[in-house]
Amino acid sequence: MPNACLKTFFGFLLFTAMAASAQAQSPPAADKVFQLSVAHSADDALILNWVIAPGNYLYRDKISVTSQQGAPVKVSTPAGDMKDDPSFGETEIYHRQTRATVSAESVGDLNKLVVSFQGCAEQGICYPPVTKTIDLKTLSIAELTARTFAPAQSNSNWVSDPALERPSASHADALEAQPKKSDLGGSFISMLVAFVGFGLLLAFTPCVFPMIPILSGMLAQSGEKLTARRGFMLSAAYVMAMALAYASLGVVVAWSGQNLQAALQTPLALGVMSAIFVVLALSMFGLFDLQLPQAWQSRLVGAGSRRAGSLGGAAIMGFGSALFVGPCVTPPLAAALVYVAQTGNAWRGASALFALGIGMGLPLLAFGTFGASILPRSGPWLAHVKHVFGFVFLGVAIWVISRVLPTWLVLVLWGMGLAGTGIYLTAPQLRARTRGQAWRKWPAFAGGASVGVGGLLIIFAVVGSFGLLGQITRIPAFATITAAHAAKFETVATSQALDATIASARQNGRPVVLDFSAEWCVECKVMDRTVFSDAAVLARLHDFTLIRADATNYNEDTRSLMKRFGVVGPPTVVFLGARDSKEIAGARIVGPVDSTTFLKRLNQLQPS
Amino acid sequence: MFAARPNNFATRLILSLALFMPMAVSHAFVQDADTSAEAIQNDPATPVAGNPKGDLTIVTFFDYNCPFCKKAEPALEQVVKEDGHIRLVYKDWPILTKASISGAQLALAAKYQGKYDTVHAALMSIPGPKIPEDQMLAAIRKSGVDMDKLDADLKAHGDEITALLRRNLAQADSLGLQGTPAYLVGHYKVTSALTYDGFKRAVADARAQAKK
Repeated sequence: MPNACLKTFFGFLLFTAMAASAQAQSPPAADKVFQLSVAHSADDALILNWVIAPGNYLYRDKISVTSQQGAPVKVSTPAGDMKDDPSFGETEIYHRQTRATVSAESVGDLNKLVVSFQGCAEQGICYPPVTKTIDLKTLSIAELTARTFAPAQSNSNWVSDPALERPSASHADALEAQPKKSDLGGSFISMLVAFVGFGLLLAFTPCVFPMIPILSGMLAQSGEKLTARRGFMLSAAYVMAMALAYASLGVVVAWSGQNLQAALQTPLALGVMSAIFVVLALSMFGLFDLQLPQAWQSRLVGAGSRRAGSLGGAAIMGFGSALFVGPCVTPPLAAALVYVAQTGNAWRGASALFALGIGMGLPLLAFGTFGASILPRSGPWLAHVKHVFGFVFLGVAIWVISRVLPTWLVLVLWGMGLAGTGIYLTAPQLRARTRGQAWRKWPAFAGGASVGVGGLLIIFAVVGSFGLLGQITRIPAFATITAAHAAKFETVATSQALDATIASARQNGRPVVLDFSAEWCVECKVMDRTVFSDAAVLARLHDFTLIRADATNYNEDTRSLMKRFGVVGPPTVVFLGARDSKEIAGARIVGPVDSTTFLKRLNQLQPS
Repeated sequence: MFAARPNNFATRLILSLALFMPMAVSHAFVQDADTSAEAIQNDPATPVAGNPKGDLTIVTFFDYNCPFCKKAEPALEQVVKEDGHIRLVYKDWPILTKASISGAQLALAAKYQGKYDTVHAALMSIPGPKIPEDQMLAAIRKSGVDMDKLDADLKAHGDEITALLRRNLAQADSLGLQGTPAYLVGHYKVTSALTYDGFKRAVADARAQAKK
């Protein structure tokens, strides 16, 4: 039975690879890949501009300019990237785009110039030279012969056999995937190591932070019995489950084509998660006994034993927390998912994601093991530790839910949290009125400060919600609390609508910012609030046409939109060139970014 | 995005069946034009390696200044050798540089002394995308070819060689090939360089397809 499932599964994967590759079956012609445009510069020099399709490159030393009679004309080209490969030798190449200049003196009194250039596609094909004639008066570009010598007349008897053409689509692609696989993987082990390292890097991002209180909360629950061994067991169960969650996520996503992660970011899911944290926090405060969650856990595992129960519980918590912390790590996950799709091998992809999860969990494992042995046995301190965790859990609860709440409410919550912490710290001090040394009073001071800051936050938030603060401080986050985003996007949901919008953008001669967004995409909401409402970003976006591809309804239309640009899921921002409406290679933003990063990218694209 | 969803499956199935229909029709149609398929696979002037009586033919379109061709060459040769039942047809398709044409002419001239394979191997093993003619000549000289006879054959059979190159060009054009390398593996057209595993797979697929 599992075997049958597996077969179906692989069948789907293979099918998927075929479907995805339909457009990749035969490479486009060379002059489609390397698009030449010409212009005059201010000092009358001729500027030759190439836009190079992604995955292709142009040789620097194959760019040549001659007169119509074949006399060489001096052309200056910028330094390129060095490509050093055993079967290529050292060659200087250009990716994405390049420009060459023919000075006014070099042009002289010529009427026409002949430009030739040549390049290859990284996937493993080299193009013949392309030769174009440029009329220097009109700057029009005409096709010369595409080859160094013209082929004899085409064999009219031979028609490209569809039987030969069609299946090659799937096969060529499956085959093309192979070099990629070996590039990425080399060996299976080195791939795993790479992904563990990758995960380890992620472990030091704030994304993983919420996992520490979850884990330590669990360890604290374990109470007196906590030994290094037990700590290791618990955190290992937690980390394994977390890694497993990522692995299955990758496979399921690759298989179903659904952005499951996105589904887990719905306000409902986040609300539930947040509520769980509040409940956990309350239990930490001792409002009710910790038995309850444990009773759940043991029932879930189906074993009455406390030990099994908490191990199973650790695993469940690990699985769950991986999924909801996941949105935080969309960019690397997207990369990993693309990898899964490219290999066309579910197990390889799943192992990669599993390794990623393990990497993310390693510090947690260390914490669980050594943290446990460092902690003293038991005592009243435990109550305090639990309370601290309680506050941290409350913080996590606010953090989780903040993605779907309006800013002012989030601020109020944070204010309340801070004030609450302050009161917790201060109250016993006030009651006890200890006459100890000054340093013993620190909780009172810290608490007082915390209450103060919290109160201020609440006041600011409430005042801000009426727009006052926004007017005073000119901070858009305050000013635009009601509007989801301030940027004027034109929303499209179909490929046709997108084409129409792009066409009108081209008439305006503006580059396009194409933002893939969706109602259910919480990270997109965050970006709306932070990036697309930021005054500096908005000012900069004036020079762009803003299009939003709305993937809220996940249907054939939106899927084809996303497929067209190879978008794995929102939020993704794609930039299209002003002249050709082609994606500006290497510019796209995958996953949420802050306004500084976004602004930097805009400036790279169009220096002001 | 990159995945077929179950509810799509039926649609795709019907679609592929629909695509299959004209395919069958054109197959019947093309019987007449089969001479050109014949020309591509069985041009008597074209050098052949591997097992001449093999059950599967691989046609390779390449250029002696194509780095990807050179990179893929050892894998291709290895697969042909290990398999033992593959007929390998060499289509010299010099489209990248001027020197590529000279290289192709020299290699084809060597055929008249039965040394095409030797020269082909010598030229393919010089790494790099822009090998000039004199460097190619040096490599050929080193490979142990009778250079005087090569010169004589170039003169005597120059027209035949040019005619063959033109045929190759026309065939590549008719196949819609855009660059080097390209491979026809059985009934499959592969338009980029492959790895060892890639060739193995293409061969297996082509055989499976031929059985249908």
